[in-house]
Amino acid sequence: MVNIPINLSGMELLRVEHVTKRYASHTALDDVSLQIPQGSVYGLLGPNGAGKTTLIRIINRITAPDQGRVWLGDRELAPEDVNRIGYLPEERGLYKKMRVGEQALFFARLKGMTRAEATRRLKAWFAKFGIEGWWNRKVEELSKGMAQKVQFIITVLHEPELLIFDEPFSGFDPINANLLKEEILELKRRGATIIFSTHNMSSVEEICDHITLINRSHNVLSGPVDEIRRSYGERLYRIDFVGDDRTAAALAEGLSERWRLVRSGEQESGYRSLTVQLPADTAVRDLLAWVSERVDVRNFVEQIPSMNDIFIRVVGGPDVADVRTESITPSVSQER
Amino acid sequence: MNRIGLIIAREFNQRVRKKSFILTTLLVPLLMLGVVFAPLWLSRMQQEEQKKIVVCDRSGKIVPALADDARVAFRAVSYLPEVWRDSLREGYAYLWIGPDILSDPSDLRLYAEEPVTLDLEQTLGDRIRRVLETEKLKAYQIDNLPQILQEIQTDVSMQVFRLDESGNQTASSGALSMGTSYLFGLLIYMFVFMYGAMVMQGVIEEKSSKVLEIIVSSVRPFELMLGKILGIAAVALTQVLMWIVLIVVLSLLLLPLLGGGAVAQVAPGGVLSSGMADLDPQAIALLSRVTDPWFLFELFGSFLLYFIGGYLLYAALFAAIGSAVDNAQDTQQLQVPIMVPMIFALVALTFVMREPSSSLSVWLSMIPFTSPIIMMARIPYGVPGWELALSLILLYASFLGAVYVAGKIYRVGIFMYGKRPSFKELYKWMTYKS
Repeated sequence: MVNIPINLSGMELLRVEHVTKRYASHTALDDVSLQIPQGSVYGLLGPNGAGKTTLIRIINRITAPDQGRVWLGDRELAPEDVNRIGYLPEERGLYKKMRVGEQALFFARLKGMTRAEATRRLKAWFAKFGIEGWWNRKVEELSKGMAQKVQFIITVLHEPELLIFDEPFSGFDPINANLLKEEILELKRRGATIIFSTHNMSSVEEICDHITLINRSHNVLSGPVDEIRRSYGERLYRIDFVGDDRTAAALAEGLSERWRLVRSGEQESGYRSLTVQLPADTAVRDLLAWVSERVDVRNFVEQIPSMNDIFIRVVGGPDVADVRTESITPSVSQER
Repeated sequence: MNRIGLIIAREFNQRVRKKSFILTTLLVPLLMLGVVFAPLWLSRMQQEEQKKIVVCDRSGKIVPALADDARVAFRAVSYLPEVWRDSLREGYAYLWIGPDILSDPSDLRLYAEEPVTLDLEQTLGDRIRRVLETEKLKAYQIDNLPQILQEIQTDVSMQVFRLDESGNQTASSGALSMGTSYLFGLLIYMFVFMYGAMVMQGVIEEKSSKVLEIIVSSVRPFELMLGKILGIAAVALTQVLMWIVLIVVLSLLLLPLLGGGAVAQVAPGGVLSSGMADLDPQAIALLSRVTDPWFLFELFGSFLLYFIGGYLLYAALFAAIGSAVDNAQDTQQLQVPIMVPMIFALVALTFVMREPSSSLSVWLSMIPFTSPIIMMARIPYGVPGWELALSLILLYASFLGAVYVAGKIYRVGIFMYGKRPSFKELYKWMTYKS
């Protein structure tokens, strides 16, 4: 298991310690531990059925772990702490026959708010989203996207310290998805800690600071997004330069004598391009010095794998089901 | 307000504001009273219409003995059957009585253009039979026969009393007890199913609309289930009390419309007793029982207690079933174990009405799954206080047990989608650690 130590300036808001949850036919979580830093956007990743939802339910106290403990702040998670958490589940729905305003008030009061306070904040949120006119409409009259907005408001209304969004962008059109992303980042700026569970890896790179990848009930990868991406880098460097076929062939030949040439090609910009893998004992500046003596270098970039690449590599490619957990863990450990 | 309070309030407010709730609350008493009052009112309307019968009596023995009354009037003619159609200008039907009616009583024909009611057919037949019987008796030439017949006529009317433990006599009436017995047993059966199924529907609705996922992040599943059961209990109580009030008020308004005579004909429980005009002892006993405040208190008090207790017990089980399925179609098979004791109680009801103190009746009135129906059927006949108390304690204790078991199934079931679980799986869910 990869666990890049988190260098925290502050402390962690949520700590999950050796949590195990078994069901009759399978183990949903097996000795999972993670720490969620205060004020971070924490990505919870993993293929379907990996145990993400079980973990989220344990954090929400919907279900209890068989073993292990969950800490919120400096003490163990207690029943009344559900008021400090806001949860937007992947499967969302509202009472169809109930009016929007009344329903939002009901959920707000379940989270311990008074009627007056809830009404005041709801009016403010409705005004912010420009949906004041929906207050007395029944939920069944709303479109799916409209209902999602109402649900987002319900999730954040009690201003919880910890927010859990499970696939928040599903069901939103690009405009509203962007609005939602802005709201999530705004919540982060205001100090909330956010757990973000998704399959959408590009949004992970965009908004997550840290991630944990759960596969087959185990935490197989944890750490800050940029460090993880760097650590998964295979010391691949792409060199873009100006030149014709002849210079390119000469350079490629020279490169492959000293280092390992991975691929060559042409960029859209018209530059020639070569990608080289450096052995661990070689300094990058040696490569850069060597090539800049020979060609006109325009770009020199380290090829950092995307979260998508890492996900697929760790989880085991598209045919996830055929890969056994036991084979993943050692191979990942070798990376360190 | 605490969370269960909020759930109960939501459940109650959303349901009583529904149009369908308001309509059923108002229409059911109207329909029920319609069923009771319409035939009474119609029969009174019918009596006003006197039917004229044209009679051709070839024997000459019957017509003189036929007197007109409120329903039929007779007019003797000498038309032959061949021309009976003409006679209909003068009356509703044409009655032919053969010349040898005494020796050949089947020589009797009734012609009419409209269908003849069974009622009229029987009335005419009865009256002619009586005339014939009198004629035949005359042939024996007994002196003072009418007086003798008058004297031997006896009207038996038994007054029934029941001795309770303290030796007090209570007037009781078999007919009244049976009627009340059946009515209250049936009502409990209907209400428990009606409101129990409402709980099940509500759970399925929350599950299929996925709103559950949001609620359970604020409320424990057990609180949600209990809140729903109690919220619908409040709805049920409101509706049933409204029905009782509406039926009482509407009855008081409708009774004067029927006139004095009909008032006495309507006995509680829809049992029609003999008229009050002659104040026969049975009717007095009945009336004293019905107006006895202690009896009414016992009857309605235990009705409410058994209705609520029975509802709570079954609603918990219905909630567990609702949590285990995704849609209403899948509930059929899982409902079977719940239906069986209820339907058994309903079948046993007719036996219990006849043998309220038999050991089977006593046992069934103790077992919580049948006690609401069976005990309600026994109460009109009088039930010892300790039996009532024990049965109620068992019922409410078993509700606590049922809600505990149902809660265990519910908290797992609400997150299970897909295939309908088997009973074995439901049992497995109960053993999961929360």
